[in-house]
Amino acid sequence: MERGRISNNIRKLRFFRDEMTQQQLAEKVGVTRQTIIAMEQDKYSPSLELAFRIAHVFGVPLEEIFSYHPEDAQT
Amino acid sequence: MSFQEKNIVASLSAFTTILFVYLLRVLQMIQTESFNATNLFRLWGIIALLAIVGTILLTIFTHIAGGIVHKIRTNEDPQIEDIQDERDQIIDLKGTRVAYTFSSIGVALSMLTFVFGQSPLMMFGSLIFFGILSQIVADVWRLTLYRRGF
Repeated sequence: MERGRISNNIRKLRFFRDEMTQQQLAEKVGVTRQTIIAMEQDKYSPSLELAFRIAHVFGVPLEEIFSYHPEDAQT
Repeated sequence: MSFQEKNIVASLSAFTTILFVYLLRVLQMIQTESFNATNLFRLWGIIALLAIVGTILLTIFTHIAGGIVHKIRTNEDPQIEDIQDERDQIIDLKGTRVAYTFSSIGVALSMLTFVFGQSPLMMFGSLIFFGILSQIVADVWRLTLYRRGF
């Protein structure tokens, strides 16, 4: 089965939260800044728990941050 | 470069050097016809010691050098992010799986030396070779995953 692509708009949400830095978000959700960078560049799809923690920080539902594209198979 | 990536680079440098030293010593032994059990097992001891001490020293050196470069480039105190989050753990596990697969193939190939009538020394020699090589392959794979994403 081919895996789809998961994209996110963390960068945009950080911008609208008074330009929250990657480091600040990383500290709030308990990961390293590199993981936030990897997620923003669509190089890493977070676990469900981390996705919920990010949604909790921004105060929005999960589907407002992450979207799934089954047609774009990952290489 | 993150804390974990620096650790991998240090490990990769240490094990590449160790592999080079190991191959050089084995070739020297074969050339001087001193490839015997005593010398080979002594080399095993040296290699094991080098792997532990070399990796520790190189890791310390890498972090100090990285900190100095960071301070010069940004004029900020370097921050050590020594936490291992879920992404680091997944990459570590994927690397371990590659190392395990590679060393299993190495063990099978080493056993094959018996089939071709080689001495047990050759088998032991190739065992440690594949052991070091599997560590290098795993480190390269971990670095690839950090850079390319997954």
